Amino acid sequence: MSGKFSSKINSIIILMITLILAGLSAALLFFFFSFNKKLNRTEEDTVYKRYYAMITGNDESNFVDSLYDSMIAHATDQESYVEILSKNLSQEYSDRELVKIAIASNVDGIILYADDNSELSDLINEANEKNIPVITLFNDFDLSERLSFVGISNYNLGKEYGNLIIGMMDENILKDDVIKVCVLVDANSGDSGQNVLFSAISETIEKEHKLHPYTHKPAEVRAYPVDTSNSFSVEESVRNLLMDTSTDKPDVVVCLTENETTSMYQAVVDYNEVGSINILGFYDSPAILKGIERNVIYATISIDTDEIAKSCIDALSEYYELGNTSEYNTADIKVINRSNLNEYKEEDENEK
Amino acid sequence: MRNKFRNLSLQYKITFITLLLNLIVFAINVVLLVSINNMSDRIDSVYRANLQLNDIQSSLNEVQDNMTEYLNVKTSDALEDYYRSAQAYRNLISGLDSRITQSPIGRMGRAIYNMSENYLDETEQTIEAKRGRNVEKYHVRYDEATALYGYISTYVYSLNNEQFRENSDNYREMVNAFRLFETLGNIIMFGVILSNAFLIMRLTAELTRPLKSLTGMATEVSKGNFDIEPLPVYSEDEIGVVTKTFNKMVVSIQDYIVKIRESATVEQQLREKELLMESHLKDAQLKYLQAQINPHFLFNTLNAGAQLAMMEGADRTYEYVQVMAEFFRYNVKKGSQTVTIGEELELVDNYIYILNVRFSGDIKYEKEIDKALLGVEMPSMILQPIVENCVNHGIRDMMGEGKITVKVYSIDNTACISVEDNGVGMSEETIARLMSGQPVTKDDGRSSTGIGMDNVMARLKLFAGYDEVMGIESEGEGKGSKFTIYLDMKEA
Repeated sequence: MSGKFSSKINSIIILMITLILAGLSAALLFFFFSFNKKLNRTEEDTVYKRYYAMITGNDESNFVDSLYDSMIAHATDQESYVEILSKNLSQEYSDRELVKIAIASNVDGIILYADDNSELSDLINEANEKNIPVITLFNDFDLSERLSFVGISNYNLGKEYGNLIIGMMDENILKDDVIKVCVLVDANSGDSGQNVLFSAISETIEKEHKLHPYTHKPAEVRAYPVDTSNSFSVEESVRNLLMDTSTDKPDVVVCLTENETTSMYQAVVDYNEVGSINILGFYDSPAILKGIERNVIYATISIDTDEIAKSCIDALSEYYELGNTSEYNTADIKVINRSNLNEYKEEDENEK
Repeated sequence: MRNKFRNLSLQYKITFITLLLNLIVFAINVVLLVSINNMSDRIDSVYRANLQLNDIQSSLNEVQDNMTEYLNVKTSDALEDYYRSAQAYRNLISGLDSRITQSPIGRMGRAIYNMSENYLDETEQTIEAKRGRNVEKYHVRYDEATALYGYISTYVYSLNNEQFRENSDNYREMVNAFRLFETLGNIIMFGVILSNAFLIMRLTAELTRPLKSLTGMATEVSKGNFDIEPLPVYSEDEIGVVTKTFNKMVVSIQDYIVKIRESATVEQQLREKELLMESHLKDAQLKYLQAQINPHFLFNTLNAGAQLAMMEGADRTYEYVQVMAEFFRYNVKKGSQTVTIGEELELVDNYIYILNVRFSGDIKYEKEIDKALLGVEMPSMILQPIVENCVNHGIRDMMGEGKITVKVYSIDNTACISVEDNGVGMSEETIARLMSGQPVTKDDGRSSTGIGMDNVMARLKLFAGYDEVMGIESEGEGKGSKFTIYLDMKEA
C-alpha cells in the first residue's frame, strides 16, 4: 500500500521534474531561435524586384517625409523599393551628383524633386539613354526627356492663392488701399513654374479688381527671393523680409514651401506682426495647422501626398509593364482655413 | 516500459540510469554550446563584414592609383598592375550583398557593385584612350572615373558606417541575449544537477528497496521466526532472483521443521509403546509366578485342623497346625504384595519351626538382625525359598548338626540380607547356574511353596530394577554356602 503510494508520488515528481526541465529547455530553444530570427531579419527580408532612387535635394521637411512614407507604401505593394538617395550617405552631394550616382548605380527609376535647371536636364537625358526612367516631381523639366511629371498645376495653385487674397478682402481683413502681396520664391531656381504661379496670383487679383473696382482693391504683387542654398538660409531669408525697412511691410505673404510657411509663422509671432501680416501657407504639417487655429496663418493649401506618391510609383510600374505612361499627372489641391480646419482634422484622423 | 526496466539486470539498470542522466546533461550542453557558438559566429560576422569593406576600399584605391600611375608613366608594368588590381577588385565586389531589401546594406552593396562596374568601364576606356593617345578623351574619362571613384568611396564608407550601426545594435542585443542565455543556461544546468541527484536517489532507492525488505526478512528468519509472508518479487534482476530463492528457502525450512517434528512424535510414541509392553510383560510374569503358589484349599483345611486340635486339647498339634496355617496364609495374603524384611523374617521363623517339628529339632537357626532395617521393602516369598534351598541342598545330606544363619545389615544405602548354611556347599558350576536364573535340578520347582531359586532371582531383579540383587558364595564342597540379597532401602 505504502509502496504503491510512494511509487505514485515518485512518478508524479519525476514527471514534474521532466516537465520543468522540458519547459526550461523549450524556453531556451525558443529564446535562441527567436533571437536568431531577429538577427536573420535582414537576411530574410523580402527582396524587391525594382529599386527607385528619390532625389529630394536636402529637403528634410515633413512634407517630404510624408511623401516618402506614402511612396514606400505604394512601392512595396508593387514589389519595388524607394530610397531617398542622400539619406544614408556620409557626404552631402548636390542634386546633380546624386543623379549621377543614381545613374551609375543602375537604379530602376529616378524620382527627381529638384529645382528646374538645364544642368539636370542633361543628366535626365543621360539616364533616359541608359533606360532609366525619370519622374520629375512638382517641377517639370519640360525640356528634358523625363518620363513623366507628377505635381500640381502652378497656375491653379496661383489662382487659388489669388482667390484666398480676394477672400481676405471680402472679410475686410486687408485695410490698405493698395494691397501689398509678397510671394516667396526660390532664389536659386530658374523654374518657369514659379513665374506661372506668380503671374496667376497677380492675374486673379487684377481680374477681380477690374470686375469689382470698389469692393476689391488693387494689389501690388512682388516676389521676394528666398535663399534655399543651405539648410538654414530659408529661415534667415524669411526673417530678413520682416526686418527689411527699405520696403513697406507686406499685407499678405504667400509661402510656397512648408519650411517657408513655418518660418514665417514663427517670425510673425516673434516680431509681433500678428494681424498686420497675413500668411498664406503651403502644406498641412501640425505646426501649420496650429498656426491656422491660432489665427496667425490665414489659410494653407494642402496637397494629397499619398496621391502624388501613388502617381509616381504607378508611372514607373506602368513604364516597366507597358513601356510607357502618361507624361503629365497633377494632384488636387485643397484649401484649409479656420472654417474647415476641424473637419479636415477629423478626416485626417479617420484616414490614419 | 516500467516492467521491461524492472526485468533488466542490475548492471544494465545502473548503466541505463547513468546513461540517461548523462544524455540529458549532454543534450542540454549541446544546445547551450551550439547556441553560444552561433552567437559568437554572429559577433565574428560583424567584424568580417567590416573587414570585407576595408578590403574593397583598399582594392579600389589600388585600381585608382594604378590607373593614375599608368596615365603618369605609361609603363607596361603599371598597365599590368592596373589589370591585376582591376581583376582583384572585380572579384571582391562580386561577394557583396546586392539584394533590394528594407535594410540599406543590400541596396548600398548593389549601388557599389553597379557603380564599380561603371567605374571599371570608365577606367578601361581611360586607359584605352591613353594608349591611343587621345588626350582629350582620356582627360574626360579620367574625370568621370575619378568622380565615380569618389562616389564609390563615399558609398563604401557609408556602408561601413551603416553596417557598423546595424551591427552595434545587433551587438548590444547579442550581448544582452548572451547574458540572458548564460543565466538561463546556468539555471537549467543547476536544475538538471538537482533533478539528476533526485532521480539517482529515487532510482537507487527503487533498486535497493527489495534488498532492504530482504534484509529485514532475513533478520526475522535469523531470530527463528519462520512464520512470515513470502516477499513480493518486483523485478527479474539479481535481487529478484535472490528474493525468490529466499522465499523458497524459508518454505523449505518450514517444511523441514514440520518433518522433524512429525518424526520426533512418532519416535516418542514408539518408545511409550515399548515401555508399556515391557511393564505388561513384567506384570504377566509376576502374575504367572504368583499363580504357581496359591494354596487356598490347604490353608482352609489347615485352619480347620487347628480348630480341631484345640478342641481336642492337643496344644502342640494346635500350635504346629497354627504355625503351618500362618505359613500358608502368608502365602495367600502376601503372595502378590510387597512386604517388609520383618515380615519375611517371620515367615522364615515359621518355616524353621515347621522343619524342626518335622525333623525333631535338627536345624540350628541363628539370626543377627539390624532392627532398623526391618521396615525395608522387598518382594514377598524371597527369604523362605532361599532358606529352604539351604536346607534341602546344604544341610539335609550332611553329617552332623545343620546350622542356618540369617543376617540383616546395611552397607551404605543398601540393605543386605544374608542366609548362610554350613552344609555341603556348591560347585562353581552350580553357583553360575543359579546366578543366571536357570533351574539347577530337574525338580527344582518342587519346593514346599513351589517357588524355585530361578523364580526368586527373577522376581528380585524385576523388583529392584537391576541385576546385582543376589550374591552366592561357597568356599567349596563341605564348607557351606552363603546367599546375600542386596536391596535399595525403601522404607514402607
